[in-house]
Amino acid sequence: MKEIVTYVAKYKAAAVLALLLMAVELVVELIQPVIMASIIDTGVVQRDMGRIGFWGAVLLGTSVLAFASGILNSFFASKVSQGTAYDLRKDVYERIQRFSVTQIQRFAASSLITRLTTDVTQIQSLIFMAMRIMLRAPLFIIGGVIMAFTVNVQLALILAAFVPFLLLVMLFLMTKGVKLFGSVQAKIDRLNSIIQENLLGIRLVKAFLRNSFETDRFRKVNQSLMETNKRALQLMETVMPIVMLGMNAGIITILWLGSIQLETGDAQPGEVVAILNYATRILGSFGVFSFLLMNFSRGKASAARITEVLLEPPEEQLDKSDQGEHRMSGQIAFENVSFCYPEAKQPALQGVSFLADAGEMVGVIGETGSGKSTLAQLIPSLFPVTRGGIFLDGKPIESFEMQQLRRQIGMVPQQAHLFSGTIKENLLWGNEEASEKEIIQAAVDASIHDYIMSLPRGYDTVIGQRGINLSGGQKQRLSLARALIREPKILILDDSTSALDANTEARVLQALRRRSCTVFIIASKISSVKNAEKILLLKHGELEASGPHRQLIEQSAYYRMIYQSQSEAGVFEHAGNES
Amino acid sequence: MQGTNRNVSGKQPARIPSRHNHGAPRQKPNIKNMRQTLQRIWRYMYAKKKLFYLVLIMVVVSSALSLLGPYLLGVTVDHMVADFQTNQLTVMLILLGVIFIAQSGAVWMQNYWMITIAQETVQTMRNDLFSHILLLPLPFFQKRQSGEVMSRLTNDMENVSRTLNSSVIQLATSVLTLGGTVTIMLWLSPLLTLLTLTIVPLMYWGMRWITNRTGRYFKAQQRDLGDVNGYVEETLSGHHIIKAFSQEERVTAAFHEKNERLRDSGYWAQTYSGFIPKLMNSLNNLSFTIIVGFGAILAVNGLVSIGIIVTFTTYARQFTRPLNDLANQYNVVLSAVAGAERVFEIMDEEPEKDGPQAKPVDRLHGAVEFRSVDFAYQEGERTLSNINLRVAPGQTVALVGPTGAGKTTLISLLAQFYQPDGGRILLDGRDASKLMRASLRRNMGIVLQDSILFEITIRENIRYGRLKATDEEVVQAAKAANADGFIRKLPKGYDTVLKADGSGISHGQRQLLSIARVMLADPALLILDEATSSVDTITEMKINDAFQQLMKGKTSFVIAHRLNTVKNADIIAVIQSGQITEQGTHQELIKQNGHYASLVQSSRTQKNG
Repeated sequence: MKEIVTYVAKYKAAAVLALLLMAVELVVELIQPVIMASIIDTGVVQRDMGRIGFWGAVLLGTSVLAFASGILNSFFASKVSQGTAYDLRKDVYERIQRFSVTQIQRFAASSLITRLTTDVTQIQSLIFMAMRIMLRAPLFIIGGVIMAFTVNVQLALILAAFVPFLLLVMLFLMTKGVKLFGSVQAKIDRLNSIIQENLLGIRLVKAFLRNSFETDRFRKVNQSLMETNKRALQLMETVMPIVMLGMNAGIITILWLGSIQLETGDAQPGEVVAILNYATRILGSFGVFSFLLMNFSRGKASAARITEVLLEPPEEQLDKSDQGEHRMSGQIAFENVSFCYPEAKQPALQGVSFLADAGEMVGVIGETGSGKSTLAQLIPSLFPVTRGGIFLDGKPIESFEMQQLRRQIGMVPQQAHLFSGTIKENLLWGNEEASEKEIIQAAVDASIHDYIMSLPRGYDTVIGQRGINLSGGQKQRLSLARALIREPKILILDDSTSALDANTEARVLQALRRRSCTVFIIASKISSVKNAEKILLLKHGELEASGPHRQLIEQSAYYRMIYQSQSEAGVFEHAGNES
Repeated sequence: MQGTNRNVSGKQPARIPSRHNHGAPRQKPNIKNMRQTLQRIWRYMYAKKKLFYLVLIMVVVSSALSLLGPYLLGVTVDHMVADFQTNQLTVMLILLGVIFIAQSGAVWMQNYWMITIAQETVQTMRNDLFSHILLLPLPFFQKRQSGEVMSRLTNDMENVSRTLNSSVIQLATSVLTLGGTVTIMLWLSPLLTLLTLTIVPLMYWGMRWITNRTGRYFKAQQRDLGDVNGYVEETLSGHHIIKAFSQEERVTAAFHEKNERLRDSGYWAQTYSGFIPKLMNSLNNLSFTIIVGFGAILAVNGLVSIGIIVTFTTYARQFTRPLNDLANQYNVVLSAVAGAERVFEIMDEEPEKDGPQAKPVDRLHGAVEFRSVDFAYQEGERTLSNINLRVAPGQTVALVGPTGAGKTTLISLLAQFYQPDGGRILLDGRDASKLMRASLRRNMGIVLQDSILFEITIRENIRYGRLKATDEEVVQAAKAANADGFIRKLPKGYDTVLKADGSGISHGQRQLLSIARVMLADPALLILDEATSSVDTITEMKINDAFQQLMKGKTSFVIAHRLNTVKNADIIAVIQSGQITEQGTHQELIKQNGHYASLVQSSRTQKNG
């Protein structure tokens, strides 16, 4: 919460103005019963029309003043809340962009998304409320009691006794309620996961005739959700009747004591009426107060989640200078590289050493979990190595500025992630300054140009959520073209030709040969890397063997075993034309 | 009535406005038939109708008491001011006390019972919706994204529940208090009432002026918010690409631009919507002024008493609030009705149904025949055409062909997930469409490529195959499927709860578990989809062996990727572009020297390098 307050502080002037305007409104409402009291006591009782007219006019004037303040307050309050939300979004987003992959994974992308969207909106509406009504209800309760004291001390004492007591009762019930709502949320999550599971596995549920089994499972969770929800809501609904009862008891006490005082002449009728008026208005404020408490507890949780991101020091720096583009040749060496994912017990890579010369094609082969993708992610320094070193043209990878390094590396990940926008915009991700010719050349090399040209709007076709859907193979090829556009010195294909048929794959690899870059092909099928100059065979994170295909066939029994099992498998998938 | 609602209008993503849309006028929800929908909700509440009537009685009681309270308060004050008859005053105070207690009691009871009604109603609706969804035919799931269906079970139901919780009582209370207040005010002092009512037109014009403006800005804000949220989602879920391409600065700049637009449109939307409570509040203050000012003049002339002024100031508050509530509740109710409509829309979808003369079958022998079967997912795009295939009991059929040729569709038809558009599928010589689907599926075992498991223990996951199986039988099945070994190595063994995202055990191990599951079911007919994904060699051998165990003595349809599986099959069917182009044993097809032969040939050359 503290962090968020410093963000609001930027709009100090507007916030102070908004609060002052709110205070004006508050004061008007606080003095209105007093004015009413004097109208009754000096006007009605003494039959003085002039005074009634005067105080009536004052009453009207204050109402207009309150209205004007309320309207003006709205402008300043939204300036503060929208401005703060803007700044928060801006800073959180910038911060996340400077997070390392490890950090993003630690937070989980989905959680970061909620923080940037739902949580910020929550804070925004909380601030808006704070500028307008949040302080009002408690201030009104306090102010009301104080004003009552100025009217009649003895009667006010009754109010002063009832209010804190009721506040405590309310706070107690509400904290219990908030806790219950927490377990409601947990049960909703459980219910959602059952639904999701069933939607995902609907074929299975049908095939195994498990409708009633699944329905029972659902019913059980639904039942307990209903019960907890009911309890939480019913608890919350006891708050208002209790507060009402308490305040009304206060009102009766005031009437009783008031009547005695009237008898002894210690109080004027108008005073009693005024204090009654404060009591009913305070009662009204309690309702608002309970609503605010709910929102505040939600806002606090959101603030904590946002602050957590803001306090996390980013692990990556954007390059400070553009000092002389450092072109590399593409030669890369791993020297005894070990890598361990944060919080993992086993290292993902252990003591891996190899040298890839500029322009070479390097295949990486191994079982799932053998460390192939990890190796790929170390090259653009998405993760720092734990031990050992990576050298580019003989210089340690740490000596490169991160962005310069990555600008010369093309990455085609397993999951082809494209962004919504046109095909051209997606391709330009690779290199914003690419010319028309370069774009087309990359698309041709990735064997996707013909397909793009077959679309009515060609390169301007919109893809993604609002546009056309692409098949897995088409996405992979676009993602490859995107990497080619930057004319990388090192290109990494992380199992990214899996959705291509054999002919297309061969054509693409042929085209890559013509470009002067070092290519890493990570694959699970030996057939994809057979023609590479060098094949790295990984096993449980260690380099089992390396060398060209023929050499490995001769020297590595493990390689031979994989090769044999694969020659009998997978052939039917790739044969035939992709439709 | 059923059938008319078969959703053909296409997708309509259910977007529920955020929960805390503080005082914001919503966009008008799209409601097709309000009356019918309300009737259907009522039918669900009908089971609780006695409780509901009690709630209504309590609402009447509490509303009446809330009107009576201020009136008596005024009378008491008059007594106090006029004469000091302590006896009468004591009676009045006791009466007031009773009324206040009764009022709190009535409010508490009405809320308590209404929550019971609302929660139980929604629970029943949710159960019905869920079990109905499970009965829907597969094309339904193809047509819609799972997120959309999810949102109906969660957001839309939540919306209905919240509205039932509070809106019913609020609406009833508002109408009653509004009517009651005006009546009593008129009775007490028609003149003062008329003066108080002058604020109503002011309220109306004020609200109209504001909502005319907010509507426009809210639309803009909604659009910009969608933009920002969409961009956040896209760029954060693709963060590794942004890193690898070092595009951080570019996306940050683009984000700032969208963020700025949102700030600007949000500013005006929020400012204008902030006017509404202020307007209401000021009108309250204004009516207070009118009552006190004019009331005092009337009091001087002896037309009203001070007590009446006190009463009126309280009533005036009770009078503007319900008006405001009614306006607010109207929007809430509309959006809940729209939500309920989306729920009912799914309930009106036709479930999978057996034909009128469908008969149950016992244990099948396993003879299968496809007789000139045609099928299309979408009209005009035929996926399978003229499929003819005869399989004797116990035979193994290997389906071979490129991705997208129609292999998966063929087994989906066999599993009765879809109905053929033309031709027939015969099981033991009987037309499958004339047999009860459930009894057919009891005879089938399916292993899908993506091995779906549930978030329950491994034991329960295997037992999914046959719910009545003993623990011993579960272990037996696991052993037969080569899964027992790895299960025992897990810290919690068979009691390990699997995770939805598949973490914890490997892909290959998941496949072994799904084989064990079918092993336990012991069906007459097997439908297998061999995995292509990269599992390690050892696990692959285990899977292979488990498959062989499973297929013993059963009619099996296998989408095959391994030459071994194919070679040993009794029938090999080569599927290309939705047609069976070659059919026969390995030897026969090699002799034919067609597509299959060339496939085998190319695999051999690959093998020999």
